[in-house]
Amino acid sequence: MIRFENVTKIYDPNIVGLQDVNVHIGRGDFAFLVGHSGSGKSTFIRLLLKEFEPSRGSITVAGRNLQRMRRGALPHHRRNIGCVFQDFKLLPNRTVAENVAYALRVTGQPARAIRRKVPEILQLVGLGEKMSNLPDELSAGEQQRVSVARAFVNHPSLLVADEPTGNLDPDTSVGIMQLLYRINRTGTTVLMATHDREMVDKMRKRVIALEGGKVIRDEDKGLYR
Amino acid sequence: MRFRFFLGEALDSLTRNWVMSVAAIVTVLVSMFVLGIGAFVFFNLQNATSGVRNKLEIEVFIKNTASQDQVNQLGDQIKGMPEVKSMDFVSKDEALQRLRDSMKGHEDVLAALSGNPLPASFEIFLKDTNQTNLVASRFYNNQTVDNSPVADSADNPITLAGDLSDGATNMTVTAGGGAQFAKDMYFHIDNEVMRVTDNPNGDTMNIARAQAGTKAEAHSKGAEIYGEDGVKTGGNTTARVNAVANYTLIGGSGFVILLAVASVLLISNTIRLSIFARRREVEIMRLVGATNWFIRWPFVMEGVFTGLLGATAAVILVIIVQNSIIDVISSQLSFLGAEAVPTGWLLLSIIGGGILLGSVGSALALRRFLKI
Ligand SMILES: Nc1ncnc2c1ncn2[C@@H]1O[C@H](COP(=O)(O)OP(=O)(O)OP(=O)(O)O)[C@@H](O)[C@H]1O
Ligand SMILES: [Mg+2]
Repeated sequence: MIRFENVTKIYDPNIVGLQDVNVHIGRGDFAFLVGHSGSGKSTFIRLLLKEFEPSRGSITVAGRNLQRMRRGALPHHRRNIGCVFQDFKLLPNRTVAENVAYALRVTGQPARAIRRKVPEILQLVGLGEKMSNLPDELSAGEQQRVSVARAFVNHPSLLVADEPTGNLDPDTSVGIMQLLYRINRTGTTVLMATHDREMVDKMRKRVIALEGGKVIRDEDKGLYR
Repeated sequence: MRFRFFLGEALDSLTRNWVMSVAAIVTVLVSMFVLGIGAFVFFNLQNATSGVRNKLEIEVFIKNTASQDQVNQLGDQIKGMPEVKSMDFVSKDEALQRLRDSMKGHEDVLAALSGNPLPASFEIFLKDTNQTNLVASRFYNNQTVDNSPVADSADNPITLAGDLSDGATNMTVTAGGGAQFAKDMYFHIDNEVMRVTDNPNGDTMNIARAQAGTKAEAHSKGAEIYGEDGVKTGGNTTARVNAVANYTLIGGSGFVILLAVASVLLISNTIRLSIFARRREVEIMRLVGATNWFIRWPFVMEGVFTGLLGATAAVILVIIVQNSIIDVISSQLSFLGAEAVPTGWLLLSIIGGGILLGSVGSALALRRFLKI
């Protein structure tokens, strides 16, 4: 599903984001990306989304090489990846339902499908009652669930989450974690960058540890350490 | 579906910074209103001048007492003038028939007429309307034409007392009775155009041939001088109306272009603010895989909508102004004919113009501020 081959990202002026990273994550896998602040987790995820290009190496997502991808194909690439962020990135003056519907509209789904899918997915994340609320009328945990619903509503084959529990208390974090776990069980590949030691240790999933932009450890059923 | 969504987004942004939107709409309104009124005035004037142009330039009425020979001679003379494009003879009967046609419903008034008091006439069309006065002057003082004798009293016609000798180009004549001539006035002596070059005192004056080199064979000693009341001209208005139409066109276009540029800049600035207000949304849209045009359309429609709103308001205003003010004016200046402009066509182009301004404005903003 994801293949990084000798990927190096150097930011101007000469700041190492990633260095010689070789990672392969299979279809349907669940993987944690761990490491201290500044170790390169977000850089990894942004490269996946093709927000910018690697300085060296090649990245393949769902069998498509990102460096050879035409500009016009970029939207389709992104629709195939659901993403969740630490700051939720919800649209502030739109209702919960509209926020989720956004991801569907972008793909040109007909109005009927949108009317059917939005309540369905919001029910799934337990927000059926809050459809017509604005984001700032929700708790942080609820906002993050909206953002997960938006990421998953298109049923992408890959879901990436950059510290989705970074702003949440432990109990709420568990709720989000469970949601991501359930999404993974439907066959969706999930990659989650996190600082959350407890969570990683409890889940016993694959752990890819970064340090100074390099992969220092990559083990199945790993611990945060 | 998409269209409705984009429209909703566009209206949302339009109302969200409504002060800017209103400013942009008002500039479109003003520029399209000026365009509309300018075009209305221009087309009406054009219409009017073409109407005047088609009307006759000179009408020469013939004395009831003139013989058929005299009439034929005058007709041949007119046909021989190089300035004349065409000529029609209107007989007394035709003149009466025309009067009847123009007074349908008031036949009782005509019934009171005994016989036919209307004179026959020649209607003359010229190649160049600037020559109206010159040609008309040839019929002044002509005895076949229904000119009254110039008189210092009711029954004392003025008579030329000088001698116009062979080959003379200049001479001094003395007019009997009271003098009625002014410097540069044209008149005729035996079919030759003469110009008053000097009129130092009442009854003695210098005259010259208006066209040098023509042969003067006439002796006009004792000739009676006739006025010019049997000749009517109508061409003078043409040139004046033409000039007004051209000024309207030039001044109006300049003004409209200026206003259009202002509208485009204001629309572009409004859209720029919208883009700025939504930069976060645009970033999120990109992350969830929106295509470039999916992001652009709402902004394009916002611009188009601004233009459309302004133009629609302008159309309403133009219609109101047309129906009130301009109708009143044109009913007083009846020569304008008050003919309807191609109104539907004009209003459609105002709408089209508004949409164009809106699209150009948003295109400008998108190119500069929404680099994708
Ligand atoms: N846009 C950028 N321009 C320049 N340097 C950057 C940029 N983004 C990240 N960096 C640098 O690259 C390195 C890796 O950053 P990255 O954001 O990937 O770390 P991270 O692991 O996500 O950290 P955190 O856990 O704090 O989010 C850091 O040293 C950071 O300062
Ligand atoms: Mg980060």
